[in-house]
Formats: sequence, structure tokens, C-alpha cells
Amino acid sequence: MAALLRGVRAGRALRGLAGVVSAPAARKPQCSGLRRGFHCAALRLQDESKSDKPSSSSSTTYHEHYQAHSAEQDTAAASHGDSASDPAAEEAARPNTSYQDQSGEQNEEYETEEQLQARILNAALEFVPQHGWSMEAIAAGAETLGLSSASTGMFYNGGGDLVLHFIAQCNSQLTDILAEQHKEIQLGQAEAKKTADFLRDAIETRLRMYIPYIETWPQAMSLLLLPHNIPDSLKHLSTLVDDIWYYAGDRSTDMNWYTKRAALTGIFNTTELVMVQDSSPDFQDTWNFLDNRIQDVTNMATTAKQMQSTGETVVQGLMGAAVTLKNLTGMNQRR
Amino acid sequence: MQRAAHTALYDWSQTVSPMIRQCLKSRGPLQLSSRAYSVVPPPRDSEEKEMLDRILRVDHAGEYGANRIYAGQMAVLGRTRTGPLIQHMWDQEKKHLEKFNEILAENRVRPTALLPLWNVAGFLLGASTAMLGKEGAMACTVAVEESISEHYNSQIRALMEKDPERYTELLQVIKEFRDDEMEHHDTGLEHEAESLPGYWLLKNAIQLGCKAAIYVSQRV
Repeated sequence: MAALLRGVRAGRALRGLAGVVSAPAARKPQCSGLRRGFHCAALRLQDESKSDKPSSSSSTTYHEHYQAHSAEQDTAAASHGDSASDPAAEEAARPNTSYQDQSGEQNEEYETEEQLQARILNAALEFVPQHGWSMEAIAAGAETLGLSSASTGMFYNGGGDLVLHFIAQCNSQLTDILAEQHKEIQLGQAEAKKTADFLRDAIETRLRMYIPYIETWPQAMSLLLLPHNIPDSLKHLSTLVDDIWYYAGDRSTDMNWYTKRAALTGIFNTTELVMVQDSSPDFQDTWNFLDNRIQDVTNMATTAKQMQSTGETVVQGLMGAAVTLKNLTGMNQRR
Repeated sequence: MQRAAHTALYDWSQTVSPMIRQCLKSRGPLQLSSRAYSVVPPPRDSEEKEMLDRILRVDHAGEYGANRIYAGQMAVLGRTRTGPLIQHMWDQEKKHLEKFNEILAENRVRPTALLPLWNVAGFLLGASTAMLGKEGAMACTVAVEESISEHYNSQIRALMEKDPERYTELLQVIKEFRDDEMEHHDTGLEHEAESLPGYWLLKNAIQLGCKAAIYVSQRV
């Protein structure tokens, strides 16, 4: 923490930026913020179409004065893990046009580092079938954007960065689809689905996003299991499952919150595993597997409910027997 | 004088608690965002979300625990003279828990994973102190309500320090609940909580437990 503070202070002095404050969460991208800043500056020297000013202030911390405009970016960056997916993905479509009202700086076209990274990773995705989830794919992606392949130096996690970015993107796409469906239901334009069907459709939609990359997906999965990637991948997984349950209508505030999410995580992971080795047409075996697992969970839930009500009845019976006994022995007097 | 107050309270609780129960029943199934405004403002960044999550999580856990404590007390003292009094306080706690359930669901806050633990621990605490008699139950109430009021007060302070305008509704809710808890605390004192032998020891032990519970529920 102290080293981080020293590094940031040095970075501040060197870069003359007023806005970088050390963030409490010591996550890897933020620890290397100083170095990224230099890389960023190096890139900008190469790419003359971008402005000279380093601009990663709003992307690295949350303790910012400029919260009004960067609120959406920060929220998106925060909720979708390491790289800004929502606004960055949109920004990727129209580069260099983020007007940010930072005090002391004028309105100009520049891009934050996270937006740049998102653009490069998006471009890299099309090279994944060819190069796998690796630095080569990222380098190829950077080249299609007109950047030098040395810009891969920005990505310390290599293929892991690419996979995590892809997953975050898939999750946000799914959330958009679910939100859209939810809106339609609220407007009365669509029928509400039963929970089991909803879950099945949501997971199927989400897994279908892997189909273009299914050949290399085992590599991606193994990347996600690397120890330094596990926190991020777990975070993405838990966000995904929470989102699906939220839109499925779960509003529980007791242990059900945990059991439901655990069950859905299990279903998702096992179905994903089945999918990578499925060779049936259109992955029909996978969807059948998914159906069966959801059926299992539904049955288990029903059984649990039945057991609970049986248990309650039994307890009531025992209480009745106890009261009868107390009455018979004369113990049940009012005090 | 005390007896008159007692009967007055009893009569009042007889009229009020069915009303409260009626209100609770007529709510029906929980609707998705059925109100025009939300008690908690949408968080601007993940740090604020984290802070709000902790506050709401621990408050929810607290009300849940308080519920179970009163349930335990009722299980033992339910058919004695203090039954209606405890029932009345329990009904108010149920109302609080209901409110927090709503807020948690609306804001997608994760409830604490230790709920089953608070379930059992609360019931046992309530039941065991009630077995010491009415004074024991009242002493437990005093201790717990004092802890909770202090905790709500520190939350109110924290929110006021940050931004009283932004959190107006949330502050209102917490203040209202704090006032209810203070009322329970005073009720406990009125009903001879302090006359329990070992009152000081029991009170401090319970308050220590509450502090630990609050600390853990914020994080887990």
C-alpha cells in the first residue's frame, strides 16, 4: 500500500496530473497504473492522431472530482471487472470522441486507456480462431487498428486479458438482452416465462455466444483457471449468475439467495464443459443436458419444499403430543 | 401507577398489533418496484455501492436477529403477563425486517451468509434470557436495543458526514427505526430489567456479542 502511494506520487510528479489518487482496492491493473501511463504515452507518440495528454485519470480510480461525467464509465468499469465494457465497447465503435468535462482541461477528442484497450481487444477477437487466446491475437488486433504490435505491452495478462474482456462483453450483452425482455414483459408486449424456461433460455443465449470461439474455448477456460485470473473470473461468473436470477424474478433475502446462485453456477459450469466437447448438430446435446440439469434443480427445489412442509407438520404433531402430555400430567398450569 | 400503565399498554397493544398484522398481511406478494421513489439512491460508483451494501446488509441482519430474539422470548414467556408486551415489540421488529427485505431486494444487495447462524443464535439468546424470567427477557431487550440504537446512530452519523441530501430517505428510515429501538430499550428499562441479578454482566456480554455480530455481518 505504501509502495503504491510512493509510486503514484512519483507518477503524479512526473506526469503533472492532478487527478490520480491511490485507490483502496489493490487490483493488478491499478497497481501498474504508472507503467500503463508510460505505455500509454509511448503509444500516443507513435499514433499521431491521438492527443498528447495522458488521460487515464478517470479510468484508474473512483475517488475522482470528475464524477458527473465519468460516473457511467466508472460504474461500468466497476461492475464489469477489469476493463470498461459497456461505454468502452460503444466508444470502440466511434473512437476518439469522448468529450469529458475535466476542470482545467479543454474539451478535446481523446480516449481513455481503458477505451483503447477495449478497442484493441475487440479487434483481437477476430484473430482468436487463428492464434488462440494469446498475445499474437492481441498483436494482430492492434495492427488492424493501425497501432504497432508493441502495444501488446499494455496487456500484462496476455491471453487472460483477452478472455476476461470477452467474458465481460458477453455478460453485458446478456444483461442487455434480459433487460430488453424484462421491459417488454412490463410493457405487456410479451408473456412472462416460467422460471425454469427463463433460466434455460438465458443460459442458452449466453453459451451460444461462445460458439464462434468454441474450438479455442478449452484454452480460454484453462486461462481462466490460472490462479491470478481466478478472482476476476469468479467475479464475472457471480455477476452473471446474479443478473440472471435478478431478471428471473428472484428477490430473496435469505439463504435462498445463496442456494439459487450456487445451483445456477453449477448448471452453467457443467453445461459449459459439456459444450466444449459436444459435436452434435447445433449443440443439441448440450441443450438437452441443460434441460435435464434445470429439471433436476427444479425437482430438488420441489422436494426441499415438500420436506420442509412435512417437517413442519411433524413438529406440530410433536408439539401437540407434548402439550397433551403436559395437560395429562398437570404441568400446563398458567403461571 | 405501574399497573395502570401496564394495562394501558396492554390495551393499546391489543388494538395496535392486530392492525399491524393486518397491514402486514394486506401487502400481498412483493412487487417489483411498486413505488415511485426508492429509499436508497442508485450508487454512483462501486465504492458507494460497497458502502451502501454493507450498511443495508448489517441492518438487515440486525433486524433478522432481533426478530429471532423476540421469537425466542415469546416461546418461553408467550403465555405469561409479559407475553403481549413482547409480542408488540416483536411485531414492530417484523415491520422493520419487512422494510429491509424490500430495500435489499430493490437494490440487489447480498444478504449476509451468516443468516442461519443468527437465526439459531438469536432464538437461543431470546429463549435462554427469557428463562431467567421476565427481568431476564427485559435485560436482554435493553442490551440488544442499546447496541442496535448505537449502531444505527453511527450509521446516521456516517451518512450525514457523506451527503445528507443524497441519503435523505435512507436516513429517514434509519432514524425511524432507531427511534423504535430506543422505545423498546426504554420499555425494557421500565419493566424492571435492571432488577435482574447479574444485570451488568449479562448486559455487557450480550452487547459484546452484538458488536461481534455487527462486525462480521458487514463483511461476510
